[in-house]
Amino acid sequence: MTTEITVPADLWEGETEGVITAWLVNDGAEVAQGDLVAEVMVEKAQYEIEAPATGRLSIAKEEDEVVSKGTLIATLES
Amino acid sequence: MMPACIPDSDDMTLRRPSVAEGLAMEEALLESICHGESDLGLVVWSPCDRALVMPRRHERLAGFSEAREALEARGWPIQFRSTGGTPVPQSTAVINVALARRCRIGSSAAHLEWGYRRLGEPWCDWLRELGIEDSNLGEAPGAYCDGRFNVRIGERKLVGTAQRWRRVRGCRDMALLVHGAMQVGGRPEVLVEVVNAFQAAIGDPQRFSPASHVALGQLLPEARGEAALPELLERLAKAVKYVF
Repeated sequence: MTTEITVPADLWEGETEGVITAWLVNDGAEVAQGDLVAEVMVEKAQYEIEAPATGRLSIAKEEDEVVSKGTLIATLES
Repeated sequence: MMPACIPDSDDMTLRRPSVAEGLAMEEALLESICHGESDLGLVVWSPCDRALVMPRRHERLAGFSEAREALEARGWPIQFRSTGGTPVPQSTAVINVALARRCRIGSSAAHLEWGYRRLGEPWCDWLRELGIEDSNLGEAPGAYCDGRFNVRIGERKLVGTAQRWRRVRGCRDMALLVHGAMQVGGRPEVLVEVVNAFQAAIGDPQRFSPASHVALGQLLPEARGEAALPELLERLAKAVKYVF
């Protein structure tokens, strides 16, 4: 089963873009639901992204890549 | 959600920790919200020492190690903070206010602009009460760590603002920490020069302008602003007391 990790779609208004500031776990690592996996910055706000499920992390967007609301940044395979 | 508690009087007292201790106080405040110990909290502090403070991602910049040594040699050690943005100097000339509260996902409070406005608008009201009429929120082109929600006097940056969001343990609520750093003493040239020294040390050609900043002490006696701080904190606490 694949679970997507996305940038929250309702955190800010407009089309301002954010950036992945850090991955807190390595690509391919096993993570548990609720683990902090990444940080996204938009409008000088750091937003912590949690794993929505347990599984093996596959990173789709690297650190310093620009992201929009709803962007898929990683998937979890369980 | 029930109305949040008003912070007690200890939270309203200006503390004078080191920069490292002040940043740790803010982290502890956010954690207390995440652990469900409270729904609302405030800390206000002014450092007893100084540092150039930036998000940890700057550590990845080419030349960072050399820049760190250069700034350390100038008496401005680099420290990291958990909120977003770019390098900001912290010194005895700066007063920091951090406001944290619990927000339900899907509510109007779970939104970046909500947090910035609940910090910035009462701050503008407080400045007007002190007789500074042209306070507003907006960008200050040429300022370091610029953003859309600076507290400005005219078009000059007085307060820089930033946020951090973290999940509350065991539920889907979020904890928001919104932070404001206001230069109260000295002149902006001194702090701008520190940020520009970092820019030069990492080979970034962007430079910032003192003309884009203002210190509260340039507008009214420094002691008057500090004496009026409790009124600012009360305004901020009231602004976030209820989740709409």
